[in-house]
Formats: sequence, structure tokens, C-alpha cells
Amino acid sequence: MDLSVWATVVGVVVLLLAAWTAWTLARLRRLEGRVDRARTALETQLRRRAALADEVARSGAAVLEPERTARLARAASGARLPWTPDREQAENVLGRELRELLRDLPGMPPALAADLAGTAQRVVLARRFYNDAVRDTRELRGRRLSRVLRLHGRRPLPRYFDIDDSYDELAGTAGSGRS
Amino acid sequence: MRIGIVCPYRWDRPGGVQYHVRDLAETLRGLGHHVEVLTPAEHPESLPTEHVTFAGRTVPIPYNGSMASFQFGPISAARARRWLREGRFDVVHVHDPAPPSVGLLVLMIAKGPIVATFHAASVRSKLLTVWGPVIRPWLERIGGRIAVSDFARRLQVEHLGGDAVVIPNGVHVAPFAEGPQLPGLERGSGGPTIGFLGRYDEPRKGLPVLLEAMRDVVRRHPAARLLVAGRGDPDGLRAAVPPELRPHVELLGELSEADKAAFLRSVDVYCAPNLLGESFGIILIEALAAGAPIVAADLDAFAAVLEDGAVGVLVRRGDAAALAAALGDLLADPDRRAELSARGREAARGYDWSVVARRVLAVYETVVLPGGGGVTASDDDADVLSVSVDDVPGRSALRRRVRR
Repeated sequence: MDLSVWATVVGVVVLLLAAWTAWTLARLRRLEGRVDRARTALETQLRRRAALADEVARSGAAVLEPERTARLARAASGARLPWTPDREQAENVLGRELRELLRDLPGMPPALAADLAGTAQRVVLARRFYNDAVRDTRELRGRRLSRVLRLHGRRPLPRYFDIDDSYDELAGTAGSGRS
Repeated sequence: MRIGIVCPYRWDRPGGVQYHVRDLAETLRGLGHHVEVLTPAEHPESLPTEHVTFAGRTVPIPYNGSMASFQFGPISAARARRWLREGRFDVVHVHDPAPPSVGLLVLMIAKGPIVATFHAASVRSKLLTVWGPVIRPWLERIGGRIAVSDFARRLQVEHLGGDAVVIPNGVHVAPFAEGPQLPGLERGSGGPTIGFLGRYDEPRKGLPVLLEAMRDVVRRHPAARLLVAGRGDPDGLRAAVPPELRPHVELLGELSEADKAAFLRSVDVYCAPNLLGESFGIILIEALAAGAPIVAADLDAFAAVLEDGAVGVLVRRGDAAALAAALGDLLADPDRRAELSARGREAARGYDWSVVARRVLAVYETVVLPGGGGVTASDDDADVLSVSVDDVPGRSALRRRVRR
């Protein structure tokens, strides 16, 4: 084969690679935006849950033993940590406290109980969507070619957010089609 | 909230997804939201004049075991773009985005908060295995995925990547819960009745199994009757019924919506002997809402609706002896029937559109960020084919890389 054929082949390969790279970079950037938005949504719901827990701790001070109120307030303040495994731990503690509270305190004002249940449901949704975005990103970044070309630049690999957010026992979920 | 819903199947053809979109849109409107629908149709003039936009005609292609509406090309893309621009939606909700239809087109064009619902039609998913990776770059734009059943969710996880929250199909419970019974067939009048509804000449609906079971049932309850409703070939059915069963089988034929509800309110037991292939047991929810005690085959979708046997009796699929025993026991036990009926009505309430639409709304609210801006249409057709001009993040990222 002569040189011009080789040059053409190399040219075509380089072009294809460039097109693929541009396309993948666009996908990665879009995914980054999705992860950011999903994280904001999750953070919003988690903070709302913490604020509600604070409210319960304050309003329930008369009925609850002081030690329990303090524990709840402490758990709620844990929800202000940055996104690390400590934060997941703190959210788990808060979730457990809230679940136990709803079981032990049936006389909670209905509006507050409904708020808590609604927020718990939204935490489940937001976390599912966030982890979904993370999974898509990690999958694309895990491809060999995107790894070799380091298409992600200096962006850190997004982490999954793993907490126990089951809330079935505290909200009536008849017909929820739970998995 | 301004909501845009995309239905990829022809609006003027009967179909589960179409009804789902119609009822969801109506319910959301009732909750005070502005809802627009974009859909293909066979006859554009048949579309409602308000809130439904014609997306073009479609070419039916076989997809995933049923017929999908193939619709692609610049004219459809232009229509979708105009709909997105004029709608100024806070969120766009695409139904069944996987087939190459207007749903996928909208995914390619729209930017912003997008929700998608996956309705699974059948188990045949070989095509999806090949097609899934192709459309993945566009499915990645979906911010919140919904599956209508665990089965649909599994299909989505296996073939299209990503996870989904399960929100079941909705039913308007009230028209089934209250109303008259079928004249002459009222519950408690005459002998006990067993109801079957569906295309009775399709073997997968399981009528042959039920007919076989009926021999034993009739031995225990000589006055029992089987009422068969639905479409099919009446002569074929008559030929399939053994002579000794003929006085016990009554063919009602196809029923209107109102008659269907009356039928479900009239029967002493509703039986769903299906052998396979139901991804969602909407008929079971309707029967529950009508207060009919249910005996059903143990398909995953049915087991989910019947809460693993808590609100209905499940029997092994295709097992005529077990089905006969379950039917016979239930017909002999009025207390158990009353108990199942009460529990069923309670369970059906969770599927009422008012409940289901609120759960869908919670998904919208999770995906739409306050102040995050709504859905926009990307500017040029290039985006559909490759990368659009304002979408080359590559440039700055590359420059950064080059500088390093």
C-alpha cells in the first residue's frame, strides 16, 4: 500500500476519534450538570427533613424525655456535614430517630406527620435520581477510551449516596408497588 | 406547574399508554396544573381541540412484542421543537421513550428537567438489548425515571441502564366502586357466578385452564355459572366448551366501560387465569375497586397487585386442579369473600388517579429545582444528528487540557 492510502486511513481514524471525543465530552458535561442538579435536589430534601426534625424536637419537648429531644436535635445537626461517609452515617442516624419517633409518638400533629412522611418520600425519590445520575456518569467514564483519553479532565468521580431511607412503615403505602 | 406530556402512540387508537396519558393529564389539570400533550395520530382532526398537539403520522413497526409508532425526521422534529418553545414547560414527561418515536425526538431536542415513564409491553427484549446502547446518550438526559411495575423497572435496569422508581398505573376507582349491577345477574341472585374478562380466544389469557377447572367447580357447586366477557370468536368458544358444561357457561361478549364495571360488581368471584405476559394487572385493580373477590394466576404483576395473596387468592399458573380448589373454596365461604372484598376496596384506593397523580407530581417536584429554569428546545437540527454548536463543552475543556 502506498503512503496516500495510509494517510487517508489515518486521517479517517483521527476524524472519527475526534468526533467521538467531542460527542463524549458533550455527554459528560451534560451528565455533570445532571449530577449537580440531582445533588442539589437531594440536599434540599435532606435539609428539609433535618429542619422538620428540629421542629419536632422543639415542639415535642413537653412530651418527649429531654434526652430524646437532645438526641434528635443532635441528629438533625448532623445533616449539615459536607458530603462524606460521615454525612451518610449522620443521615442514617436521623432517619432511624424519625422512624422510631413516629412509631412511639402517634399523637404528633397530623400536619407535621404528613410533612415528615412527604419529605421521607421525596428523600427516596431524590436519592434514587441522584444515584441514577452517578451511575450513568461512572458508566461513561469507565469506558476504556474515555479513561485513556482522560476525558473527564479534573472533575472528581461522583460518589453514590447510600443511606437507609425506607419509610414504608411510616407512610400508608397501599398499592405503592414497592419493590 | 406547566407540564408537557409526550405520548408516542397514536392518540386515536385504543391502548394502555394512551389512556394512561389521558387520565394523568386530566387528573393533573384537576389539581390546578397546566398540562399539554404531544402525540401522533392517524387522523389529526380527531384530536381534542385543546391541550393536545398533533405530532405527525406514524409508521407502525414491530417493537418489543407489540407495534410501536415509528416517527422520525425533520418535520416531526420541527413540530416537537415548536411545541416545546410555545409550551414553556417546567417539566417534560415522556412516555415509553425507547422506541424511535416522537418521545425519543423530544429527548434529543429538549433541555432541562425531563421525566420518563417506562411501560413494559412484553417480555421479548432481544431488540432492546441491541437498541438500548444506541439510544443511551439520549436516555441519559432523563432526570427522573418512573416504571409502572417491578417488571418494567427490571426491563429498564437490564437493558437501558439506570434505575427507576415504581409508580403503578392509575385507575378511576369511583366508577367501579359504585353503581348498578348487571340486570339479572346481581350478586346473590341465582347460583354463584365466576367472572372472566379478556380476549377469550387468546390462549395466554388462560380460559382453557379455567374451563377445565369449571368441571370440578360445578361438581361442588351445581348451580355455579361462568360468565365470559370480552372480544373473540363466539363459535370457537362454544366449540371449546364441553357439552356437560354448556349450561354453566354464559357468553356476554364485549362490554362497554359502564357494563364492565357493572359486571365486576355483579360476579361472586373474578378469575384471572392468565398464563403469561401481563406486565400490569389493571383489570385486577378494577375488580378490586368493584369489590369482587379475586382468584388469579401467580404472575409477578398479579402477585404485586394482590399484595402476595393478602387481597386475593393466587394459584399456580396453568394448574387447573389448584384453580378449581381455590374457586370452590371461595364460593363455599361467604365470610372469606366479604373479607377479601373489603380488603380489595381498601387496596384499590391506593391506585386511584388522585393518589397516583400526586406521586407523579412528587417526581416532577424533585426534578424541577426552584429557580432552575424550565425546559427549552435546543436551537438547531444538528443536535439531532451530532453535537450542537452551543453544546461543545469540549472546546473549553480541551483548551484547558492543551494548556496543561
